[in-house]
Amino acid sequence: MVSAGARGLPSPDLSTRVGPLRLQNPILTASGTFGYGLEFAERADLHRLGGLVTKGLSLEPLAGNPPVRIAETRGGMLNSIGLQNIGVDRFLNEVLPGLKDLPPKVIVNLFGSAQDEYVRLAERVEPYEGVAAVELNVSCPNVSKGGIEFGHDPEILSRLVRRVRSATGKPIVVKLSPNVTSPQALAGAAKEGGADILSAVNTFVGMAIDTATMRPILSTIRGGLSGPAIKPLALRIVFDVAREVDLPVIGIGGVETVDDVLEFLLAGASAVQVGTALFRDPRTAERLVDGLRERLQAEGIPSVDSLIGAAARPE
Amino acid sequence: MLDVQPLPLPYFLLRVRVAAMEPAEPGQFVMVAGANRPEPYLRRAFSVYDQEAASDGSLVISLLGKVIGCGTEALAACVPGERIPVLGPLGTGFHSVAAGISGSGGSESGRAALVAGGIGSAGLGLLAQVLERSGRPFDFFYGGRSAEDLVEAETFRRLSERSGGRLVKTTEDGSAGERGLITTALEAEVRAGAGYTTVCTCGPHGLMAAVAGIAAAGGVAGEAATETPMGCGYGACLGCAVTLKNGGYALCCRQGPVFRLDELAW
Repeated sequence: MVSAGARGLPSPDLSTRVGPLRLQNPILTASGTFGYGLEFAERADLHRLGGLVTKGLSLEPLAGNPPVRIAETRGGMLNSIGLQNIGVDRFLNEVLPGLKDLPPKVIVNLFGSAQDEYVRLAERVEPYEGVAAVELNVSCPNVSKGGIEFGHDPEILSRLVRRVRSATGKPIVVKLSPNVTSPQALAGAAKEGGADILSAVNTFVGMAIDTATMRPILSTIRGGLSGPAIKPLALRIVFDVAREVDLPVIGIGGVETVDDVLEFLLAGASAVQVGTALFRDPRTAERLVDGLRERLQAEGIPSVDSLIGAAARPE
Repeated sequence: MLDVQPLPLPYFLLRVRVAAMEPAEPGQFVMVAGANRPEPYLRRAFSVYDQEAASDGSLVISLLGKVIGCGTEALAACVPGERIPVLGPLGTGFHSVAAGISGSGGSESGRAALVAGGIGSAGLGLLAQVLERSGRPFDFFYGGRSAEDLVEAETFRRLSERSGGRLVKTTEDGSAGERGLITTALEAEVRAGAGYTTVCTCGPHGLMAAVAGIAAAGGVAGEAATETPMGCGYGACLGCAVTLKNGGYALCCRQGPVFRLDELAW
């Protein structure tokens, strides 16, 4: 598909294996940053993505939080969207048919306010072949109940994953919260419960204050920080989790440049999710696919696979 | 970027040549950022104030801006010849008005009032042109704190007078037009029986809320071009929710930025 470069080197192999998932390249779009994919088909070339993670889906549609929902900060932004979504059934019936035959793997992000809801969501998704995996959102900082409570206690998380495990044969991705003392402990609990893959990390809880009104900017006061500002923090967590827990990791946090992608791969991630950078430019993900190919070719690196975890290996 | 025309501070007019962009409808916007600047992180939403098809098939758009923070500062500091990212046209513009123009008469064919607060005039530029071209008379109500805020007064005077209407100016300090609020002037005209069948507004929230009240009291339909902090401008981040009268939310960047005055919770 891609011809050899000017230097005659063979085209690098961008494909990556993330546990049971085989992706055409390691670039995915992160949950909550690209809707359900299809609605942006004219603004981005979906075919070229390694995977696409949907906006978090719940059993019933949710309207989300009142405004103000976002606040720009230096090097990123805070959000408190409140999991606005169309509900799992509308996604499966109306959106998935248009996505399922595209090359990128479709990962469905699921969110419940009780363990039963996660189980019912997993059951609902189970018969649909177009869904390559489920990502459990156990770390959303923007809803008052649910989500985050499942991702902050190893025992609860382990039990939740085990219950979802019994409801689905699809690969389970657990999206880790960075707002804990030891993400590794939660990662271990997810593995114990039967998770196949970890994604790290969700947003960091933060806040911003309007100095003119002297009030918090976000209607919910606190929100999730994302963007380049969190990249070093996320990278450290990916590095620690990948070293200590024997599960493949998808790195998330401020990915915007080819160097960011390489850093996450070297830290031990098998793939990355691009999020907030898509808000700046909807073509960020496909540009990273091109940029990564060019860089590997220029450096004579044969495959993505050869990079994964290289920074953790002894010299 | 073709040029940046300095207007009386803190205003500026940026002209950008875009290779492949559909012309904007009145009220639509683009997301733009200064060239190669890491900060601010997010692009900024700008109404397309004016546009012109060039002979080579490209489109030249004009963005009327006011420096209020680092994003607008970066744009005002653009140098001619610099390449800047432009995404657009985005959002839903003044649809009911446009439909009235292309349709055959009805309530949309009467006299219109356009009400701008300061830099809100940027959101009404294309609309004023469309109304003028279609021969529909409109009065342009232009309010600001002081004379400098009525930065495009001459343009709107020309367009409104050509349409058969007029320009009404107010400033809070009395340095141009009547001293006072533009909404007071609008209300007086409505009460005096100006016979508006449409009111379109763009400006600070308080101004638009007052216009909505005046329109409702006078039984006049209308639309507002709203503004809210935006993450992406194209519907991905869900950050630009505005509250509707029915209690639900709509995205400013997709269902808006132009909404009917009677569908928003003011």
